[in-house]
Amino acid sequence: MSTTLERPALATSRKGEVAKDKGTLTRSQVRTGWTLLAPALLHSGIFIVIPVIAVLALSLTDYSFGDTWSWVGFGNYTELFRDVDFLASLWHTVLYALVVIPISMAISLAVAIGLNQKIRGIGFFRTAFYIPTVTATVAVATIWLWIYNPGSGLANGFLSLFGFAPNRWLADPGTALGSLMVVGIWQGLGTKIIIYLAALQGVSRDLLESADIDGASRWQKFRNVTLPALGPVQFFVLITSIVGTFQVFDLVYVMTRGGPGSETRVLVLDIYQNAFQDLKLGYASAETVIMMIVIAVFIGVGRLLQRADTND
Amino acid sequence: MRRSVGLTVLATALAVVVSSCGSGVIDKSTDGVPPAEATGTLRVLLPSFPPSNEGRQQFQKVIDDFHKAYPKMKVEPDFATYNNLNEKMSTSIAAGYPYDVMVTGVGWIQPFASKRIFADLGDFGLTPDVIREKSLAALIPAVTYDGRMYGYPLLADTRAVALRKSAFIEAGLDPEKPPTSLADIKIAAEKLTKRDSKGNITRSGFDLASSSGFRQSFTTFLASTGTPLYVGGEPNFDNQAGLDTLLWIKSMINNVQPYGQVNAAQQPLVYSGEAAMGIVGGAVDCSTGGKGIGQKNCDDLKFFRFNSGKEIEYMGGDLASIGSRSRHKQAAWSFIQSLTKPDTLDAMAKLNRKLPAYKDAANSPQAKSNPLSKFVAEGLDKAANENEVPPNWLEMRGNFDIQLTQAVLGQKDPAKVLHNLAGQSR
Repeated sequence: MSTTLERPALATSRKGEVAKDKGTLTRSQVRTGWTLLAPALLHSGIFIVIPVIAVLALSLTDYSFGDTWSWVGFGNYTELFRDVDFLASLWHTVLYALVVIPISMAISLAVAIGLNQKIRGIGFFRTAFYIPTVTATVAVATIWLWIYNPGSGLANGFLSLFGFAPNRWLADPGTALGSLMVVGIWQGLGTKIIIYLAALQGVSRDLLESADIDGASRWQKFRNVTLPALGPVQFFVLITSIVGTFQVFDLVYVMTRGGPGSETRVLVLDIYQNAFQDLKLGYASAETVIMMIVIAVFIGVGRLLQRADTND
Repeated sequence: MRRSVGLTVLATALAVVVSSCGSGVIDKSTDGVPPAEATGTLRVLLPSFPPSNEGRQQFQKVIDDFHKAYPKMKVEPDFATYNNLNEKMSTSIAAGYPYDVMVTGVGWIQPFASKRIFADLGDFGLTPDVIREKSLAALIPAVTYDGRMYGYPLLADTRAVALRKSAFIEAGLDPEKPPTSLADIKIAAEKLTKRDSKGNITRSGFDLASSSGFRQSFTTFLASTGTPLYVGGEPNFDNQAGLDTLLWIKSMINNVQPYGQVNAAQQPLVYSGEAAMGIVGGAVDCSTGGKGIGQKNCDDLKFFRFNSGKEIEYMGGDLASIGSRSRHKQAAWSFIQSLTKPDTLDAMAKLNRKLPAYKDAANSPQAKSNPLSKFVAEGLDKAANENEVPPNWLEMRGNFDIQLTQAVLGQKDPAKVLHNLAGQSR
């Protein structure tokens, strides 16, 4: 038995024009399409394409806001890889991403699973977890500055209850970056939780009930039903987290300004410093290009991992 | 037909957008036009007036004075802070719409002058002799690049040292004979440092006021040995004096003061008793309540200067310049003259807790308003700062802060750090 689908009648335009074949649109359809696309294209052109081209071009110059500039080819790039501040910034950013992304994703998923249960006061908990996301980073950073204050901060006050000696948190080269990571993890939870929560509510109840009938344990249900169903969402969260962590700036700017020394200097802070404090816009542009490449590499790796996971 | 009409409309719209974003908003030049007939907008960037009601009121007085000569010109102020000054300047330059008047600090003139962003004020008759006659001679190096003058001093921002008499007496030291050399300060600071039973510092012996970096304190300590940081744009710190100074700082941190110590009020720690001795700014508010530290606290303070061979006090300042691309240079110079009227400088000094940069600053209302301002005003002839910095000083500021910190915290070898900084300065 076979089913034959009838081809729908070809669209006819206002002027009586007939679309010829698959993928062929009438002129008015094309025009409408471009008209609807135009605002987005204009926006992308002005705020993405032109700046990217400008950055690529500037990265090949020694432009520093003065009257004169010259082409330096790949000179900025070769200089960057001898620049200890840039290398330190790159390393700190990668480290920050490698620690913050998996931990914040794991915590967010765990919390989302908790918030997906039928418990009392669920609305309050959902709001509470989302508040850090909608709070201005400067305000968040200011509160954490107080928490980390070596003299009167909450962190040392709490630890002293258990007999721990006061720590200098942001002033100690050994703990400064870790302290920032804690804030980064805490601040990024809200968005991820909401996304996971939405995805969890879309997990097939039929499959979960089937697993129940088959006698699957909670872990087995999570591992074999819930987690695979979250695959696309995991990828989305991963990509946005990579972009977000690589662009961390305001938190560092307010809390440590990259110090002590350069222990918490991250890429965007280094770019900002080079561009707007040292006035080396060409050099900062080269740094920006490298950051874009590193983000692309990380996203590519994330995509490969996602594909491998899906194939499993 | 309809398509071409659409394209024409789109092109017109784009042209309007581009022209309004671009040169369409830039005025015609008023240079050479009689002041009374000059029209346009004078854009002014300055961190010298806080954007408070009081700051705006004082600034309006400057505008009113300027309007006596240029009645038809508008003044568009941008009340910046020293933290975002460079961002504002660089973005305005990149946008092709630079400020006409820019007020910056010590260390800004040379980098911007070397990029030809500031105009040569010699064209308006400014010479070192004029500054010596009307302003503070100590700020001449700060406004000079390549033998030309690119800025006019508005305010002097000075630093001194203070001790708490009660702490000195308690430690068996004589507050009337303050330690002034680096070696003596260290000995006294170690005696003044208090610790708890676990060895944690509970009162610092000396506040180096270097929570955000050691650049300024290193400059000050080094200058007190008679060694300016730069001479003629060349580094002067990669030597024994520089190394001794850096090692001295290293020996003080976490010995008499924990690294990064700062209080919530961001005030000198000696004011609150969190330190027994330390670097202070150029003014102290002795009033009770509000931001004042109270007369009792004030009476417990004694001020002095560093002297490890040369008695000095650190001096920064607010310096007014004219943008080289300004289309209103004559109006900008007239505006600077309005800014430098004694009454205006007095008001600015009060607002910023600095000293007015006019000849007789020691007799200014600000100098008479509190004991610390009086003290630093009497020592303006002993002023020292980074001296004749190289054109890449803006970059070097950050390098100093990072690398000196790394040396002080034992992450890098101090001698290598100084050698590296000297290499980067060239």
